[in-house]
Formats: sequence, structure tokens, C-alpha cells
Amino acid sequence: MKNSVITTRRDVLKRAAAMVTAAPYVITSTALGADGKPAASERITMALIGCGGRGRSVIGGLVANGAQVVASCDVYQDRREAVAKQYQGKAYADFRELLARDDIDAVLNATPEHWHAVISIEACRRGKDVYCEKPLAFTIEESQAVLAAARRYDRVFQTGTQQRSDGRFRFACELVRNGYIGKVQSAFAEPGGTARHCTLPAQPVPAGFDWDMWLGPAPWAPYHHDRCVDPGHGWNWRDSSGGLMTDRGAHDFDIVQWGFGMDGSGPVEIIPPDGKDVKMLTFRYANGAILESGQGGWGSGGRPGALVVFKGTKGEVSVWRGGIKTDPPELADVKIGPDELHLYESSNHQGDFLDCVRARRRPAADVAIGASSVTVCHLGNIALWLNRPLRWDPVKREFPGDDDANRLRRRAMRQPWRLC
Amino acid sequence: MLKNTNLMIGLLSVVCLMGWALPVAADEALDKAFDALKSYEWGQDRAVLKAIDDAVVASHGDKAARKDLETKLAGALKGAPQAGKDYICRKLSLIGTAGSVPAVAGLLTDEKLSHMARYALERMPCEEAVKAMRDALPKAKGRLKVGVINSLGVRRDAASLGALTALLKDSDKEIASAAAAALGAIGSPEAAKALGAWDAPKELKLAAADACLSCAEKLLGAGKKDDAKKIYMSLAKPDQPKHVRVAATRGLLATAGK
Repeated sequence: MKNSVITTRRDVLKRAAAMVTAAPYVITSTALGADGKPAASERITMALIGCGGRGRSVIGGLVANGAQVVASCDVYQDRREAVAKQYQGKAYADFRELLARDDIDAVLNATPEHWHAVISIEACRRGKDVYCEKPLAFTIEESQAVLAAARRYDRVFQTGTQQRSDGRFRFACELVRNGYIGKVQSAFAEPGGTARHCTLPAQPVPAGFDWDMWLGPAPWAPYHHDRCVDPGHGWNWRDSSGGLMTDRGAHDFDIVQWGFGMDGSGPVEIIPPDGKDVKMLTFRYANGAILESGQGGWGSGGRPGALVVFKGTKGEVSVWRGGIKTDPPELADVKIGPDELHLYESSNHQGDFLDCVRARRRPAADVAIGASSVTVCHLGNIALWLNRPLRWDPVKREFPGDDDANRLRRRAMRQPWRLC
Repeated sequence: MLKNTNLMIGLLSVVCLMGWALPVAADEALDKAFDALKSYEWGQDRAVLKAIDDAVVASHGDKAARKDLETKLAGALKGAPQAGKDYICRKLSLIGTAGSVPAVAGLLTDEKLSHMARYALERMPCEEAVKAMRDALPKAKGRLKVGVINSLGVRRDAASLGALTALLKDSDKEIASAAAAALGAIGSPEAAKALGAWDAPKELKLAAADACLSCAEKLLGAGKKDDAKKIYMSLAKPDQPKHVRVAATRGLLATAGK
């Protein structure tokens, strides 16, 4: 039904254009879909919720792939108005008003981590498709709630783990999954550590900024500039973030899960460093493979950022943004054969999302993948906070017989916010 | 020989002293931290409370130590300023049991601390915690009431069903919407009946549909296919938005085992 409407509108536009002789620019070529871009009538209308640097960057990528931005929302007035002006859309202070619009097909959720679940779920509830920046959600329970909402309403939901659309990471995982390094024994990544408790004192709330709305479901605390502004490490405070463990771990552990063939599942044991035999945060999978996670963060020891190293019985593959290295070296020249496992191929994460919105299929970093990947991050944090080894059941998504650890799968949201 | 014996005695004395001194030092640090809690405010160095953080972690598997710690934390609630109370609620969310529920429950109607009270109670796996929130429901007002309703939904408190059903008719739309969501989370046949009978106002139709879908999923998960099917059939009608109809249709397929 939608296609016939588009065809009809496209035909009208074409006929109108053909009738004009004196004013060739009345109907623009982009309106009719020139330069490989979809016609205006076929463009997916989007809104940006969270107009910080990352949001503006990703929405630019979505527009470059044919989306049309009609609305923006942010708790900072100047940010939302700047985006609205840039795209000739409307600015909103409250995402609920934005999501109530019927003319928005999809949203980009680029808010801080503690807001991801509530906004993503409300978007699904309102029938919108969602591109949500990583990490998918603030707790294990929230990630499951987001997954449930997306599936309930059959939404196309892309997690912003764009390395899934990077051929180097895909190739590395294909080498691993097809046995080119033998039986995989371990992986190494170095996302960094957990978040810190914020103890900043109170400052006056600046004009044009809604502190209560920034806090949202997080516990109340007095405003301070550095609680919520990058590079003041707003993402590094415990009440609004899982720290680098989730912020970078969402990328690193996602690739490990992909290489291990563990999407939708996870490790069965998590062991924090003990200062003796266990040097790094260690995740053990049911097949015996282990993931060792360094706390130094990207770039420490001179290693490239987002580095993931897979080690197997017959070799090793290291992959990072911008590079890949294998041992033996000739593995880098392998061509994955037609009868071998080929992983989801995408070369453009935003383009992939829009293609999937049109085709109604699951994208490269589908919400279920985002949920299982971020769960690994949360498991790491919980093990560090409790400072002891933990067992995890990736099917039931619980710590068997461990009341203390199970409590940390969720946290109560500040009113009026909720998941369901 | 005498020299070696004296050396041995000296070493043994040191070891015994350390065995006595270390726990004493730890107790002193803990007492100092509880003292600091009495005046702890935002902006102060959280390191002053580290001994409590460490004691909470260390108390895993030590019932007596944990009970002692819980009692101290609950007892410190009354005298602490807001930031101190906030901290205590966070710690009780990790180790609290029925024993600390009365102290925390008293904060459920406090404008500034209701959320942190729920922060603690929502995580406590005991019926007393849920009962405290259920009992607070008629006393809480406005958004605090919304918060309590949300927490009862998280805990899937079937005993709140009657109270929640009555709140569907509340003039405060946030309260009515929260009540619907909580009923959906409870997901029992009785909750389904209450939601089915609710004539939601126009602005809450979508909330009602979502609550019904949530309820239907719970019923399906519990093997109550016929109850789930009724809900899905009611939502598959043309008066529902397209994405709700899609959800209902998927639900119907699920009830048919597809």
C-alpha cells in the first residue's frame, strides 16, 4: 500500500516537473531522487533524540544515506534548536511529544547510556524503528526489556556498534569461525574499567538546560557541569554509565562474541583479577574459550584502540579500527569460500539500518546482538563490584544461586520513568 | 639457642598482635565511616565511606557480619542527611533483608528520598519489601505514587491487583498509565480481565494496548494460550494503530505455535 502511494506521489512530481518550462528549479532533482538518493517521497523520516556530538555525526550519516530529519530533541535548548535549524525540522524538549508524531518513521537515540532503554522502548511502543547508540542499555534487565519491546512491535532496531559494518572485523571473525586459527582458545580486548561514583558538589543549573530531564531515570543528584558533559567523562559516572567497560566494551566484547559465535548467548563464568593468579578480568565460555579484558583502556601500552586479538591452536588474528594482522601472515590473504560461513555483510552501518527499514529485515547489529553484547559488559562490571568469581547462566540470564549478584541485574528507576 | 628461642617468641608475639590488631583496625575504620555518614553530603570525598563499601563486599557468605552491617546501616538512616540516606539506601539495596524494610519504608512518601527507598526495596528479594510498597500506595501522591506503582509492577505484585485496577480510573493520567503498565507486568488472567474492562481515555489508548500486549506475553509464557489469544484478537482489530495490529497478529501466530 505504501509503494502505491509513493509511486502516485512520484508520478505527480514527475508530471509537474515536465509541465514546467520557465522555472526548472521549482522541482529539485533531489526531490525526484537524483544522485542515487531516494526521492523525497521514499525517504525515511527520522528524528534525532540526543543532539550531542555523536548524535549529530550519526544523523549526518543517516541523512547521507537518504534519511530525512524532521525533528530533534535534547535537554540542552541550544543543541536541539541547532539541529532543528540545520535540517529544517522541529525542536522538542520532551521526547514523548516527538514520538507522538505519526510522520516519523524512525529515531536515532543518541542520549546518554542511562536513557537508552526508556526512550528506545517508547519509540518501539509508538511504532518507530530505532537506531540506538551503544551500549544498548544500562542494566541487564533493561537490555532485555528493549529486546522485548522491539520484538513485540516487530521493529527494525540497529545497535550503534558500527564495527559490525567494518569488513576487517567481519573478516577476522570469519577466519575464527571457519577454523583458520584452529580451535579458538582465547580472546583479548582492553576496553577499560568500570565507572566511578560521582561526588561533585552542586552548581547552579544553567539556563536552557533541563537537569531533571537529563537525570531522567537516574537517581537525583545536584547538578554539576562535569556530571554530564564529555570530556568531563559524563559517561564515566556510576549513575549514568557503566564506564569504559560498557562504553568501549560494547564494541570490543561485541566483536569477541561475534568471533566466538556467541551472539544471543554469553560466558558462563566471570573472574575478576585477584592480584595473584588472575591478572585480568576473565570471562570463560562454555566451550572453554576465555576472554581476557584489560582495564587500561584503548591505546594503553601503545596498542591500537578497539584491538581484539583471537588466539587459536593454529594461529592468531588481531584486528582493530584500521588494521588486521594474522599469524601466520598468509591467513590475511584467505578468501572465505562459498561453502564456508559468511557473516552478515554490511559496509555502512547507517545505510544498513535504512535498507533494513525498507526491507523489514534484521540489521547487522540487531537489538538481540546488542543485548547479549552489552550483557557481557554488565557481567564484567558486576564481577568487579563484587570482587569475586561469578557463575552466569546465559540461557536463564541469571547468576545461579547468587542473590547478591542477581540484585545487580536491575536498578529502580526514578519516577515517573519505567521500562514497561 | 636462647637467642633463637627469643627470636621465635618475638615473631610469634608480632603475629598474634597482628591477628588482634588488624580486625580492630578494620572495626575502627568502619566506625569512623559510620560516623562520617552522619554528616555526609554531596561534594564530600566518598573515600570517607570506603570502609563501609569494603565491608559490604566482604560480608558475602558471612551471615553474622552481614546482619550486623545491615542493622548498622538501617539504624544510621534516621540521623543522616539526604546524601547519607541516599548512600545507605544504595548499600541496603545490596544486602538488605526484611530486617531493614521498616526503616527504608518510612522514606517511601518522602519527596526527596522515595526513589532511593524503592531503589533499596525493589532489589530486596523478600515479601516484606513488596508489602511495604503496597502499603505505601494509598499514602503516596502524584509522581511518588507513580514510582511506587512502577516498582509494584517490577515485582509483579499480584496482591496489588485490586488497588491498581482502581487506579486505572485516576484523573492523573500518569498514575492511570502506570497502573495499566503494572497490571500488564503482573500478567495474570485477573490482570487481563481488569485491563480488558478498562475503557481507556483517548490519550491512554496506546498505553492500554501496550499493557495488554505485555500481559498477553506473560500469559503465553505461562501456558495460558486461550487467555492470551483473547487479548490478541481484541488488539488485531482495525481501530488499533498498525504497529499494534502487527504485534497482535504476531501474538496470534505465537498462540498457534508458529
